[in-house]
Amino acid sequence: MKEVIKAIGNVFISMPKGLFVTFKHLFIKPVTLDYPKQKNPMSPRYRGKHYLERYDDGTERCVCCGLCAAACPADAIYMEPDETEKGERCAKVYEINLLRCIFCGFCEEACPEEAIFLGQEYEFSAGDRDSFIWTKEEMLVQHPRKDNPLKRVIRRVRKVYGVTDKVK
Amino acid sequence: MQGKVGVFVSIGIVMAEQVKKEQAVSGVPMVTATIDGREVTVPKGTTVLEAAREMGIHIPTFCWHPKLKSVGACRMCYVEIERMPKLQVSCATEVMEGMVIQTASEQVLQGRKAVIEFILLNHPLDCPTCDKGGECDLQNHTFAHAVDDSRYSFKKARYTDGTDGTTFDDKRLGPEIVLNRNRCILCYKCVRANKEAFGEYDLGVYERGNIAEINSAPGHEVDNPFSGNLVEICPVGALTNSDWRYKIRVWLTQTTSSICNMTSSGSNILFYKEKNHNKIYRVTSRMNDSIDDGWLPDVSRYGYQIATTEERLKTPLIKKDGKQVEATWDEAMTVIHNRFTEIAEKKGKVCLGGLASPYLDNDSLHSFNKLFRTVFKSNNIDFRSDYRMLPEGADSPYEMLVDQPFTIADIDDSDLIISFGSDLIREHPNEYLRMRKAYNFKRAKVVSINPYAVKSADIAELEVIHSIGRAETVLNGICLAAMEMGLVNNQDLTGKIAPATTAEAASDAGVTEDDLKEVARAISSAKKISFICGEMVSRSIARDTIASALWNLYLLFGFKDKGQMAILPRYANSRGAGSLGLLPSPSDGLRNTLSGLWGCFPESDPNNTDAMLALMRKEEISGFFIIGANPLMLYPDRQFVTDGLERLDFLVACDLFETDTTELADVVLPLSSWAEYDGDYVNLEGKVQHARQAIKPLYQSKPAYEIITMVAEKFGAPLFESIEACRKEVDELLSMTHSTKFPSQFLEVKPCYEDAEEEYPTPLLICDDPHHCGHRTEKSQSLSNFVSEAYIEMSPEKAEKLAVKDGESVRVESPVGKIVVPVRISDCIDNNVVLIPRNFASTQVTSLLMRKRRLDRVKITKVDE
Repeated sequence: MKEVIKAIGNVFISMPKGLFVTFKHLFIKPVTLDYPKQKNPMSPRYRGKHYLERYDDGTERCVCCGLCAAACPADAIYMEPDETEKGERCAKVYEINLLRCIFCGFCEEACPEEAIFLGQEYEFSAGDRDSFIWTKEEMLVQHPRKDNPLKRVIRRVRKVYGVTDKVK
Repeated sequence: MQGKVGVFVSIGIVMAEQVKKEQAVSGVPMVTATIDGREVTVPKGTTVLEAAREMGIHIPTFCWHPKLKSVGACRMCYVEIERMPKLQVSCATEVMEGMVIQTASEQVLQGRKAVIEFILLNHPLDCPTCDKGGECDLQNHTFAHAVDDSRYSFKKARYTDGTDGTTFDDKRLGPEIVLNRNRCILCYKCVRANKEAFGEYDLGVYERGNIAEINSAPGHEVDNPFSGNLVEICPVGALTNSDWRYKIRVWLTQTTSSICNMTSSGSNILFYKEKNHNKIYRVTSRMNDSIDDGWLPDVSRYGYQIATTEERLKTPLIKKDGKQVEATWDEAMTVIHNRFTEIAEKKGKVCLGGLASPYLDNDSLHSFNKLFRTVFKSNNIDFRSDYRMLPEGADSPYEMLVDQPFTIADIDDSDLIISFGSDLIREHPNEYLRMRKAYNFKRAKVVSINPYAVKSADIAELEVIHSIGRAETVLNGICLAAMEMGLVNNQDLTGKIAPATTAEAASDAGVTEDDLKEVARAISSAKKISFICGEMVSRSIARDTIASALWNLYLLFGFKDKGQMAILPRYANSRGAGSLGLLPSPSDGLRNTLSGLWGCFPESDPNNTDAMLALMRKEEISGFFIIGANPLMLYPDRQFVTDGLERLDFLVACDLFETDTTELADVVLPLSSWAEYDGDYVNLEGKVQHARQAIKPLYQSKPAYEIITMVAEKFGAPLFESIEACRKEVDELLSMTHSTKFPSQFLEVKPCYEDAEEEYPTPLLICDDPHHCGHRTEKSQSLSNFVSEAYIEMSPEKAEKLAVKDGESVRVESPVGKIVVPVRISDCIDNNVVLIPRNFASTQVTSLLMRKRRLDRVKITKVDE
């Protein structure tokens, strides 16, 4: 008899109790995101897709010194230097093999010209392996650009390594 | 026990006495000092730095170079010496008896750190863009001394004068060299090397104090034939060259030790390559004190680019309907086999000939020799493609003189150096630098005897410029002068040589009697002589006459006891080709060894290059195999070669790229360069040196050894079981006791003059440009940046007579041909002789020459625009 009353009590008391939590969540903002329509902002220390910086006048910062490639533990960076018309050193070929890259950020640390940064972009998938080799053209930031969304990240890097803020 | 100790003691005494004796012999007293607590005994005059290096103690330097005099400009090599109040520069302090030296004390390290801080005041921190990054002395020393901060807060100095306004302030000094004065630390190493070692004055220090700078001489380019060394010795990235500029980082490269293929002394080089790319990036020297002293002529440094050029032959070519079409190796081999067999059957006698290049290694040359002697049963084989009318016998005075031993390092100790008939810079740059070294450090007397004022004679105490084509008369004159002055006792020579008196000889040769006497006096008073004979002897048709005159000089002055005299070979493995018997009729000893090794030796008529070409014209030789050589461009009678090669039924030519000769060939095979296979080369001293494989054969090319063995296999007669078997045979041949022959008595010398022709008044000399060697270097981009087209070099007087200016074109005519070349006016040539380099295919300069002439004479007229 006792069990019967307990069972009835479960149905009529505990269930509405639980359902109340469910109903309550109908009016609470959900924690999940409607990915890919919605995206989570990444931590400023997140290391995603690499990009190559430019000077304000649009010239590439990278001089192809090879330190990023030397620092790379996964040997993912390949570069060939060249000479510009002005006689400056520049990269003719700059490739990062994504399938090899472990996103450690050593290239960013090694770069003496503040040219390469690991950005916030994390969506990269492709149908073939060749597409995972990023070339210089794909990685260079657009010029001119209105706003540098990653200025904050760059500022942080400068601060960490004690570099004075040269990029506006 | 007692006995043993006694033995040791006595050995000790004997050894100590020996040391004393050696010191007494060399005449240099020894001093003992203590460096870092260890005692060292060195000859007096040794610097502290050298003594420390001998002990294995490293003292950092910027401005010090082992082959230059010390200046103490950089102050980096500070050491602490007891009882001296301040730090001393070890490179300019001689070791004194009882000195106590500390090389790494606190004070020393502090001093060096301060020096680096001073150097870095104005040194830009552009290591990422600097080519020296990774192998930079300043970078390394800065890192080693933990200099991580600068107290200097002002703007760094920039040198922008003369630059093209780029951010790096680079200034191009010459065709290859780029200077960045911001990076320069003023160690003066480049300027000192240029002056002391190379005798060039196109680079100097200008201004003084804080604004002192290295720069090229006003109005001049740095384009001397040793300029590449300046880049190599620069301790920072101030001097860079176009060859290596912005190509690759040095830490990505690997090095392979090899031997230079451009000079006959076989300079030791390092190839820098990247393993993934199968590509060579640059060449630097690998200091070998007995050969090159660490200096490389530009032709050795940039000559590697012939291997990496895009113009390389990529596949075998077979001529079909008058056109060369691409083919596979199998097809080419089948064609070679079929045609050679067909020709041999049709003619029914020996009708095949072969010409190898002296650039090839020992294995290739030996297998080529074996292919011809055992498979084709032919004695028509040679390696000399640019000498007219070659000597026949192995016992001719010329051949005996070519075989004489010669040691490059002995030039250092000679107190008299004579260069005879040799433009040393063009022919033997390494020996030229040795000569300068002997002059600089030992005050050796230099005598130059040449038909024109060669550039290497600027240090000569005595320069004898004789009429062209009278070399033997000059030598006879020297002998006569010595006899007349009573410098020698031997009078057997009288009557064997003409003319009879010094005065006659002097007037015949167009020199003064005093000059001849002066040379005779110099030779007889010298203790150690190096007598260097060059191409003007070996390429002359009168080479045996000149060699006889040289032998008379040799015997008269007793050179055997006091020096060395030799006609130096010209190409990387000329000496090896000779000692491997790649001649139509090798010496009896070689012939016996070869027939012992192979079990047979053909009995057919031996024919050298010249005789083979003559037989081709008679259609008695119908099949010809050329490997690496380019007779059409280099043989001194273009028409003769063209006629010969065109009448052939079948011609196989192997080379790195398309040449004049391969154009005529029925089958063209791509040859690998020396960087692409392992090989041994014999340098002019007879020293066998090994060149390692740096990269894999490019395109479809194959090393000469492989090509030759493939041909032999196609004929069903494999040459060797393996390359080791070939090397064993080569070793046996090279280890044969080589008996150098001497003439037992004075030789008769009858000068043979050619009369001048009225119509063609100017004697013409053909030789290499200082930046080129043979037919291949034209394809090297860096070398053609220096000189890319032929020119006619003439004296200002001659140019004035012809009313031409520098750079204007002239028509040069000889009885057999004519060419048009631009004029280059130079002080380094006598007024009536003109000179054209032979390294440029498009000029076809050999079309002016005739093979039976001693002198080539030409008529020069201005081209009217």
